[in-house]
Amino acid sequence: MMPEHTIALERVNTPPAQTWNYLRANDISLMVPSRSRKGDVYFALPRLFGGVECGMGPQVTTWIESQSTDAQYVEVPAGQIRTEPIVASMDTGVMVRAGATATIVVCQDTKDAISQESAPLTSASLVRIIAERNAHVRVFEFVTATDVNQHVESVGIVAGKDAHIEVRQFFLGTQTSAAGLVCALDGNRSRLDLTCRYLARDTDTLDINHVVRQRGRLTRSEVHESGVLDGKAKKSLRATIDLIHGSSGSEGTELETVLMLSDDVTNKTMPVILCDEDDVAGNHGASIGTVAPEQIQYLRDRGLTHEEAEQLYVRALFDEALICAPNSAARDAVLRRATEVLGATVANDLIEGLGLSSLEEG
Amino acid sequence: MSERTRTRTQVADVDRSLYDFTYSEEGYERYDDGLTPDIVRAISEKKDEPAWMLEMRLKALDTYHAKEMAPNWGPSIAGLDMDHISTYVSPRTKQAKDWDDVPDDIKNTFERLGIPEAERESLAGVGAQYDSEIVYHNMRDEVAKEGVVYTTIEDALHDPEWEPVVRKYFGTLIPPADHKFAALHYAVWSGGSFVYVPAGVTVEYPLQSYFRLNAEGAGQFEHTLIIVEEGADLHFIEGCSAPKYYEANLHAGAVELFVKDKARLRYSTIENWSKNMYNLNTKRARVGADAQMEWVSGSFGSHVSYLYPTTILQGDRSNCEFSGITFAGATQDLDTGCKVILNGAETTASVDTKSISKDGGCNTFRSSIVVGRHAANARASVSCQSLMLDDISRSDTIPAMDVRNATASVGHEATIGRISDDTILYLMSRGCSESEARTMVVGGFANPVSKELPLEYAVEMNNLIKLEMEGAIG
Amino acid sequence: MQDQLLRVSGLSAGTEDKPILQDVDLTVGAGQTHVLMGPNGAGKSTLGHVVMGDPTYIVSAGSIVFDGKDITEDSADKRSLAGIFLSYQAPVEVPGVPLYSYLRTITQKRPELKMTARKFRSRVGDIADQLDMNSSFLTRELNVGFSGGEKKKIEMLQLLLLQPKLAILDETDSGLDVDALSVVSRGIEAYRQDCDGALLIITHNTRILERLSVDRTHVMVQGRMVAEGPASLIDEIDAHGFEQFEHTGGEQQ
Repeated sequence: MMPEHTIALERVNTPPAQTWNYLRANDISLMVPSRSRKGDVYFALPRLFGGVECGMGPQVTTWIESQSTDAQYVEVPAGQIRTEPIVASMDTGVMVRAGATATIVVCQDTKDAISQESAPLTSASLVRIIAERNAHVRVFEFVTATDVNQHVESVGIVAGKDAHIEVRQFFLGTQTSAAGLVCALDGNRSRLDLTCRYLARDTDTLDINHVVRQRGRLTRSEVHESGVLDGKAKKSLRATIDLIHGSSGSEGTELETVLMLSDDVTNKTMPVILCDEDDVAGNHGASIGTVAPEQIQYLRDRGLTHEEAEQLYVRALFDEALICAPNSAARDAVLRRATEVLGATVANDLIEGLGLSSLEEG
Repeated sequence: MSERTRTRTQVADVDRSLYDFTYSEEGYERYDDGLTPDIVRAISEKKDEPAWMLEMRLKALDTYHAKEMAPNWGPSIAGLDMDHISTYVSPRTKQAKDWDDVPDDIKNTFERLGIPEAERESLAGVGAQYDSEIVYHNMRDEVAKEGVVYTTIEDALHDPEWEPVVRKYFGTLIPPADHKFAALHYAVWSGGSFVYVPAGVTVEYPLQSYFRLNAEGAGQFEHTLIIVEEGADLHFIEGCSAPKYYEANLHAGAVELFVKDKARLRYSTIENWSKNMYNLNTKRARVGADAQMEWVSGSFGSHVSYLYPTTILQGDRSNCEFSGITFAGATQDLDTGCKVILNGAETTASVDTKSISKDGGCNTFRSSIVVGRHAANARASVSCQSLMLDDISRSDTIPAMDVRNATASVGHEATIGRISDDTILYLMSRGCSESEARTMVVGGFANPVSKELPLEYAVEMNNLIKLEMEGAIG
Repeated sequence: MQDQLLRVSGLSAGTEDKPILQDVDLTVGAGQTHVLMGPNGAGKSTLGHVVMGDPTYIVSAGSIVFDGKDITEDSADKRSLAGIFLSYQAPVEVPGVPLYSYLRTITQKRPELKMTARKFRSRVGDIADQLDMNSSFLTRELNVGFSGGEKKKIEMLQLLLLQPKLAILDETDSGLDVDALSVVSRGIEAYRQDCDGALLIITHNTRILERLSVDRTHVMVQGRMVAEGPASLIDEIDAHGFEQFEHTGGEQQ
């Protein structure tokens, strides 16, 4: 019998098509704290968001909804170019109306972390986004905190006609992180560009589930994951491109590059293409291993030792995260983590280098 | 497409009746449908088996009843009702060493499939199974003189020299508890082959076993056990076919391959079960140091397939190459692929598969590459290409990789697409009909696999492709 | 002599199965421009890589002295920090590492280039302008998905940023298009102007040398130095090819 204030999220973060269970690559099971909300009245998002498929699945959606003290609904009016980022809370719904532009930051907020004695201290984010036709949405996700044990992040995006979705994810900290994202390219010519960078070290567990549902005609998806594994870290990535009947003329590409720096890491990768349409193209690529000898040699020729060459990849993750961070909260969060991983000197150098922002965009 | 163009295609050369003919099973020994300890005992008794085998069968039967199919993946097998499958059907004939001693209807079957002819021309030995029993088994004298053994498991069990060998290996690589249909296999297995190649012996020509399931509503459960001793070399070919019925048939064979240090085994399969077949076959190889395992696998038939030949690269520097092609047409749901487990240091694996889906057929490529902690400098690459010939078919690619050694390198690439209009136009502008152009492109797509096959089988495979492509356009 | 920046003496080297360089001597003075020419497969690129410390090649005899110090046994990173730079014919793609992170990391290894990150950014920006490079390159992964010309620009950017004492430009078989050719020429020019460093240009494309004042020309055939002479030797080779050297058996002109 499980204590009341603990919930088991069994086999969540699953991809649409699964494989042999003994590989333990299909899902993750998590024990999460659950504070009683009996008698509370709290805001829920408009019903319409209930239809948005989220990456970690309905179990997680229900749990986060029940734990969130409030639901945040943000609407960006048609045609508006909103420059100020929308900061997601634990349960957020964003409606980006036709032709509008919005930036959404999902930065792990540990102040809201749920604590119950018998379960790990857990932070969570649930973000659902509806992008109407011609909308342009940029989503930035940062998971960097080490003052919680566990983080759960579930994102669902629906893209209308000609909508363009850009997602940049940085999973750089938190001992156990599980993150799922579904992007439904429902509208014709809608497009997703997703890049995901991760670092897992020590005894970290990182579990990622990416799903692109390509329903509209002439849709495009470009999904690129890459990261560094060190120590005894365990990482699973499931990435699914679902080319659904009727999505003629669509193309989906997914590529992962995994750098393993230690023999004690475990890397699981499951790149899935589902297809029931003939006039489409789906591509997957994965490359798993250590730094190639010719790459090491190139870096040594420019003055780095073997270890320095390997650490360059770690630094690069933080550089990129800082360049991407759209607000000070995200930047501070990345910097804090950079200081832990790379030391204060390097972290200061990173942030100082950002001072000249004129170089970042070409 | 006009009549005129259609008649120009080479498709017309192929005779569909090649596989689709039946003979009466009147007078055959057929056990009751369903699965009971009594049936298992009857099979064992008929084979006059050692006690350990019966014990293994009965235990496996319990396991079969206890196990469930995984609910979260794989094609449906709801149409398979074990209460309506006879697990043992035997023609009333003794195993022959001469085709003239094989009853006419059975002999005709294999004649039409071209087996005796192939035996004369290019094989070192042939085994032919009809329903549950081997009806013909023979091997060239010079091969036998080298100490090569090619017989049935039943005969090996009756031979005091080989019974301990069978006992040592049988069911060790694929344990009965592996999955539900492995358990079923061990409960009711019948027929198949036992091959032993002594150390250092190279068998110049391939050995072939052909499995024909003639009976309706029946199952075939042959067991193949091959031991290739140190430094030895063998090419083994397996062919399967069955006529079409409306009642479900079941094939749940098991293939256990032991490839010792420095040995090489090539295992080729052309599977063309009829489209009422549930093909739940299990194949596994264990490979020693510096040894090589090569798989060539063509899957054309079956209603539902679960087929993932597994290679365990246990010895250092061992190598596995897998080439496979799967063609799924109307009513077919074929879940095929392979598994490779790299345990030894400096092991290498390369997987190259193709799949073609058409007329509503459903193809799933499923694979797993597992690199163990100790597999220093292991290398694996997987390449998987899928061709969609229309928009009512389906093609899924579900590979998984589990890597636990930092010095290993694993690469994977998969593509799904269709034949480009430009290619068809180009070929048509040079005088091919559309169907010829498509057949040509599909043939070219399959070529990397068919070129791995001995000539006669490559021809057979190309014929199958042409046959399947017939009427692909309209 | 102090002005001998690089002195290769009696160097023999090759791969495990095959000797390539035989008894090679080469001296480059500080600030000088040398050209190394020779037919395909003569071992020119190998010499560049051996001087850089590529572990593919094993040195069986001889020594390499750089800036007064014997570096024959040093690893490539040590040689790089000492001031040797080898530009690659085909720069290696390094996915996962944005150009900016890379450049910052390799500069920080050199005390003489110590500067604040802010200053560094502006310095990189200046060089990028000089090479007519779009600064959006900086957030892209190192050499990944760049065209041949763009990769050359990135090599030149590193050359100008690191200001090595000796730059070895390996342009043997790169079949440079007009674009890349002008990038390399511009890079060389800027390097000569700003850093006053020495150059060893490995090529058989004499167009690259048109605007340069060359101090010495070396000719290598079958792993041996067969000729050495002034800049005019280049024109001679241009006119008559390498046949004249192929039977000289290592005699100097």
